Parts: sequence; structure tokens; C-alpha cells
Amino acid sequence: MAKKETYAEAMKRLETIVSRIEGNELDIDELADQLKEAQRLVKYCRDKLYKADAEIQKMLSGTDDGEKSVD
Amino acid sequence: MTMETRPALSLVELNALVRKSIRACLPDTYWVQAELSDVRANYSGHCYLELVQKDPRSNALIAKARGIVWSQVYSRLKPYFERETGQVFGAGIKVLVQVAVDFHELYGYSLTIVNIDPTYTVGDMVRRRKEILRRLREEGILTLNKELELPVLAQRIAVISSATAAGYDDFCNQLANNAFGFVFYPRLFPAVMQGDQVEASVIRALERIYAEVDRFDVVVIIRGGGATSDLSGFDTYDLAANCAQFPLPILTGIGHERDDTVIDLVAHTRVKTPTAAAEFLVNHLYETAQRVEEWADYIYRVVPERLRRERERLERWLTRIPARVQLRLQQEQFRQERLSQRLGTAWQSRRVREEYRLQVEARLQAAVRARWQWESHRLQLLEQRTEAASPERLLKKGYSITLKDGKAVTDVQALQPGDEVTTRVANGTFKSRIV
Repeated sequence: MAKKETYAEAMKRLETIVSRIEGNELDIDELADQLKEAQRLVKYCRDKLYKADAEIQKMLSGTDDGEKSVD
Repeated sequence: MTMETRPALSLVELNALVRKSIRACLPDTYWVQAELSDVRANYSGHCYLELVQKDPRSNALIAKARGIVWSQVYSRLKPYFERETGQVFGAGIKVLVQVAVDFHELYGYSLTIVNIDPTYTVGDMVRRRKEILRRLREEGILTLNKELELPVLAQRIAVISSATAAGYDDFCNQLANNAFGFVFYPRLFPAVMQGDQVEASVIRALERIYAEVDRFDVVVIIRGGGATSDLSGFDTYDLAANCAQFPLPILTGIGHERDDTVIDLVAHTRVKTPTAAAEFLVNHLYETAQRVEEWADYIYRVVPERLRRERERLERWLTRIPARVQLRLQQEQFRQERLSQRLGTAWQSRRVREEYRLQVEARLQAAVRARWQWESHRLQLLEQRTEAASPERLLKKGYSITLKDGKAVTDVQALQPGDEVTTRVANGTFKSRIV
């Protein structure tokens, strides 16, 4: 859950940066900083989307103690 | 007896016998109550369907027969039925139909529908679903699962399916080979997906997921193909109530377009097939990714652009600086000239003043010198006159001075007889007594 929230947060932060840029709220110093931050966030989001997380895979690969199934 | 001599029928001969027997025994048409299931009209206009009967308590199938409505009949029967009942001629509807009993050597047993009684309309399935939905609505749980928000990052998927189902493989393949290269983490929670066990088995699977609910973003209930009459297990109150109240969004892909089970209706999202369920999840992630990419594009485009504009502004300033400097230098030069001018003037007046002062000094010196000469001359004269008047000079000339008690006697009246006086002359003194 925590990881999911972090992703959502990252998206929210990105959105905030976009809207602050749109709103011309950033001065030049901040702009460069925010660009750096945005790059970091985008990388984070992309990693989540495209890179398999070994930890999650390990966690979810456990055999289920379920019942026999028929379809 | 040998094999060759034993009397035997070919299968087609036996089936032909069955066909003849059925025709002989059941020569008429019969009105029959049944529920429609898996209704399909094909391109030529014939309608193929299944007629089913269920145990009213357990909802389990207890009878099933293939049925067909030839296009000539179907083209009149369907609009008539739908007009009369206000319901689609489709699965889940209980009907009263007139049938002829057929048997075909290759295709087996089937019922040919020749007429329908629309007054006998609402089937058990629909009534049951309505009843379940009404109860869920009254309890305020009908839309709970729909109200959940599908997480932006729905990657960890709890799958309720039969492990051996083709539908499950389709689902996993679709996810694993998605066109965008997204990562998904499906985990199977096996369950019985047909027959009487469906309800209990799916509920147990939900319970197992619930035990580690934090590890998942979404639940997918899928079932691969099969006759829709087998979906009856998904139309129960307990399963619907479990799904409606489940804390994760539930995605169903258990049937086909024309069959909405109760859990389809309470689920967060309902799609037709397992493949469609996978597509839905891929698309959902695509939307998420798309938003990130759009924002990234925007930021990467706009920020450097703005920084570039700022640099240009700076450069414009830089090009304006020499002009400014030039102007400033001129101003400075002008100021200096003015200063030096003022300085010159000041110096001039100062020099005049100074010269005047020097002249005054010179005059003063001359005056002082003249005065000094005059004074020294006067002093000389005075000296000469003083010298002429000195007592020594008079004494030498024969004058004397008479002193009484050390004082010069200038008044004869001051002397008494017997006073002793001293007389001073040029080369000494002598004493005398007054007589």
C-alpha cells in the first residue's frame, strides 16, 4: 500500500509542478530545481511501470494454499 | 461366437433407431417451461439456445436441452415476444415454448421451438437477480465496490480463476505481452468456476485475498468461455454481498456480452472476457503512464524553453551594457571636465588672493623696516642727548653735587647748622659741616 501511495504522490507532485509552471509561479532558481525534481519523479514512475520489482515478485510468487479448481 | 458373427449396428444405424423411436413416441409438439440460456442468433437468422431447468433452492442445473428456432419462426417470434414482454429474448428468461422433439444422428437431441407464450415471461434467473439486487440496494451495499477508486498503479492483481482454464492463460499472456512493456504481478487464487461449488469456492478465494489485502491493488474474477448456463453460480446473494463489500476494486470477466450476472452488476468494472479484463488493466496503466509522459513532455519542453528565454534576456542586457558603459564614460568625462574647469577657476582666484596677500606682506615688511630705521635713529638722538646731560660730564666741568643723607641737596632751606653733607666732585668726595 505504501508503495502505491508513493506512486500516487509522485504523480501528484508532478501535477503540482506542471500547474506551477503553467501558473508562472516559479522563478528561475526554482525552475531548474523543479526540472531536476520532475526528472527524478518521472524516472521513479517509469521504473514502477516498466521495471519488475523483484521484491513484489518474490512476495507474490508464493504458492497459494487454495483449493483445486475446475473450469 | 466370433466377432464377425455377432449381430451389430453401426452408430449411425443405432442413432437412426433412436431418431425413429423418438419420432414415433413423441410425434406432437409440446408446451414446455424452461429457462433460456446462451441464446445466439447466427448470420443466417437461426437462433441457437439452451433450455435449462434449475433446482429452485440450490440454483443447480437439473435439466438441459439444446434448442433451435429456425429463422422463419425466429424473425416473427423474437419481435413479438419482446414487444409483448418488454424484455430481450435472451439468457436468463423463463419461457413457455412450444417445441418439437428431434434427434439427429450426428447432432443428437434437440428441441425445435415453433411457438412461444409471452405471457409467461419473467424467468427465475431474472427474478432472482432482481430480488438479490433489491436486497443489496436496501442494505446499502449495492454500489460499494463501484465507489472504490481503482489505484492509479493497478499492477498487483489477485486473480480468481481456475488454474487450468484457457481464460486464465489468455489473461496472463495478455498482461505479460502487453504492447507497452508494463509490469504486472498477477497471482492466482484458484477457485471452482462452474457448477454448484462456485459460490462457496469464490467466497473462500476472496477470503484468502482479504488475508493479505495490502499486497494487492485489484481483484480479477475470470472464467474462460463455456456455456452461459453454467454461470448460475454467480447469481447468488452471498457472493454478490461479498463482492460488493470487498475493500479492493473487483474486475469481472466471467461471461459474455448478453449475460450479466449479479456479481457483474456489483463489481467495480465488468468486462466480457478474461482477455478484455487484461486489456482493461493494460489500458488503465497506459492512461497512468500517458499522464506521466504528458507531464514529463510538458516540463521538459517548457522549463528549458523558459530557461532559454531567460538566457536570451540576459544576453540582450549584455549587449546593451557597452552602450550604457559608453554613455556612462561620457558622463564621467564631462563631469571631470567640469570639475577641472571649476578647479582652474578656483585656483586662479586663489592665486590672485595669494598674490595680493604676498604684496601686503612685502609692504608690511617695508613699513616695518622703515619704522625700525626711524626708531633706531630716534634712539641715537636720545642717546646723544642723554649723554650730554650725564652728571659725570657736569662733574668733570667743575660742577659738584652735595648730598645729605645720600640725597642731592637742591634746597638751601633744607640744611641746618651742624648738618654733615657730602660733596661729590669729578674725582672723589669730601665731607663738610654747615656753620
